[in-house]
Amino acid sequence: MCRKKINLGLMTRFSLVVLASFLIFSFTVVAETLPEKIVVGCLEPLTGAHAVFGTEAKVGIELAVQHINQAGGIQSLGGIPLELVTEDVGETAMSARLATESLISKHHPVAVLGLYISRLTTAASEITDREKVILVADALVDDVTEMGRQYLFRPAPKASMQGRSAVEFVLGAAEKAGISMEKVAILNEDSSFGRSNALGAVQGALDNGLTIVYQKEYPYDITDVSSIVHGIAAAEADFVVHCPYFMDAIIFAKTFRELGKIPKFIAGMGACGYTDPESIQALGEIAEGYSNTYSYNPAKDTPQNRKFVEEYTAKVGHIPTEAAGMNYYGMWILKEALELSGNLFPEDPLNPDNLRKAFLELDLTSGPAVEVFPTDHVTFDGKGDNPYARATILQVINGEPKVVWPFEDAETECIFPRLDATY
Amino acid sequence: MEQKKNNQVTKSLLWLLLLIIAVIIPWILGSNQYSVLLVTTVLLYGVMATLWNIIGGLAGQLDLGSFAYLGLGAFTSGTLLIRYNFTPWMGMILGGLVAAGFALLIGIPLFRFRIREVWYALTTCALVEILKVVFTMWEKVGGPVERYLPHYGSLYHMRFSSYIPYYYLMLGLLLIALGVNYRINKTRLGYYLKALGEDEIAAEVLGIDTRSCKLKALVCYSFLIGVTGGIYANMYGYIHPSFFDGQESIKVAILGIVGGRGITYGPLLAALLLVGIQEFLRASIGGDVSGLYLVIYSVILIVVVLFRPKGIATIFQDVYQRVFSRRGVEKKNVQ
Repeated sequence: MCRKKINLGLMTRFSLVVLASFLIFSFTVVAETLPEKIVVGCLEPLTGAHAVFGTEAKVGIELAVQHINQAGGIQSLGGIPLELVTEDVGETAMSARLATESLISKHHPVAVLGLYISRLTTAASEITDREKVILVADALVDDVTEMGRQYLFRPAPKASMQGRSAVEFVLGAAEKAGISMEKVAILNEDSSFGRSNALGAVQGALDNGLTIVYQKEYPYDITDVSSIVHGIAAAEADFVVHCPYFMDAIIFAKTFRELGKIPKFIAGMGACGYTDPESIQALGEIAEGYSNTYSYNPAKDTPQNRKFVEEYTAKVGHIPTEAAGMNYYGMWILKEALELSGNLFPEDPLNPDNLRKAFLELDLTSGPAVEVFPTDHVTFDGKGDNPYARATILQVINGEPKVVWPFEDAETECIFPRLDATY
Repeated sequence: MEQKKNNQVTKSLLWLLLLIIAVIIPWILGSNQYSVLLVTTVLLYGVMATLWNIIGGLAGQLDLGSFAYLGLGAFTSGTLLIRYNFTPWMGMILGGLVAAGFALLIGIPLFRFRIREVWYALTTCALVEILKVVFTMWEKVGGPVERYLPHYGSLYHMRFSSYIPYYYLMLGLLLIALGVNYRINKTRLGYYLKALGEDEIAAEVLGIDTRSCKLKALVCYSFLIGVTGGIYANMYGYIHPSFFDGQESIKVAILGIVGGRGITYGPLLAALLLVGIQEFLRASIGGDVSGLYLVIYSVILIVVVLFRPKGIATIFQDVYQRVFSRRGVEKKNVQ
């Protein structure tokens, strides 16, 4: 009996030693396979026509990496810090492909963020899918997630959603002000982004029983818009929903003023042409009252967002733009996916398929990523879109872009209708 | 006589060596897709600039419309593939024919009304922009939204998951472009083009039908650029009016000029050096200081133009002549 007891003790001790050795060994193996730093790529247009957006996006990503590393890196992977590598994608599919291939072959990142322009994103996503590198995209054209890419995720609200949001905002504001809005004019510049926005606005208008009395797709480098402004006035549109970039936004706003044919409201969608700090500076007091959808909410009152807005403003001189905000929360969402991958797949957390699974498993309702995201829910569907993404709307009030929609998150009351409306 | 023959043999051997290197490059680069894409891109510019040499170098017409023909070729091949599942192997030939037909339509009135020098440059530059606007508005074929070609993995669709097949296609086109240049150089048409490139009025006085010569050069150049466009569309996987790119057209002309106008291999040499340098600078410093690589690239370009206004190919011509003339002298002394 006694001998038997001793034998059992020996067996138990032996088993414990074997188990401990196995654990130590497996831990050592995991520790050995993990790198000292996790490389993340930034692919943005830093030269060419879209350089202003790419540069802002880069600053947003840099700040996010800095904040994540300050907060202790990727906790579930033993606090590994992130390392950012950047390449300029230029403005053609050729340069975007070269930059993507170059960055991936030289640095082997686990994920890349960027490319802002849809055609550049499409060109690059062929490569990221082939190389199984996660692409956190900031291009908003609907088609970006319609091409069956497996490793592409887009947290921000897509373009059609922005168009719909602009219509819904105007109708909500009109209802609050007790004004009837029945006729809408829809304008967009002639890119796939402009058209995606316009399609969302058309759908939003039709769903809400509005009559589209004027619709126009114009060249992005248009120099004279007086015929369009006359056309809108002739059609007696109650309000205009418009997707402009920088230059066309300025030309339209000045022409509305010069011709004195200003409808009850002019709402921008996508591209933030009317509320970008550069546009406000260029337009001066003409910018007053213009609104635009935004894929980021700079007024969200959370500690992480306040920190971002404060540091970005100190660095750049104005509040974070849409491109900066989208990439700042994009980086934080990637961080959360890495954390989840570390927890779900401790044996191989940086494996692209495991990281992809982690992205699909994400269901964030709190934490720094959610604190900077426009809504309080981040998750991804099979296509890589976030079904809970929603645009916010900023309006220029006293020379400052202020969040006015969704009404429950508004920084201030919107000015509605326009004070200078002429019909 | 014997020395001339020896030089000819040496030249042929040199070209053969270069060809062997070009053929084995993808195998040397192996699985590094970036490097293969880079050399394919260099070859693409090499093809474009070598073809530009026919109209810009030999005929002396400052053509800034290469991407108009490339876009036409890309749209023809791409649209036929998307709409009718028509193979790009044939589509690219039709693309070339469309580009050549369009060049003919433009070229006849241009040369008839003696549009030349800066006016020719401005007209061809405007052509690219006009086509861009037309294709953006032409919803049935173009429109502002990208039109994607069928996905990877099909020889019939000319869609490959690796860049290596595109590399060989570009290499094939480059050999054709060099061959056409070489052939034209040796024919009567080549002499006529060179003459009118030097002084058009003097050439006319000598009885050369300059209009017909320029038209032939333009059609030849635009056809092959159109064919290149077919491959270009398949390599990038979509068609879009942004293919009609004025800046890129100017870049092709710059490569042709910097390489050495009228020298067959000059534009290729410029493409190898300048596109390589630009990409090296972009990849190494482009992410740190925005636009700095473009400044450095421009300075290099200015230096080249200042010190070698006749083109960088003349450096190689000088070196070649020095080496072989010395060998000839040494041989004579020994005899």
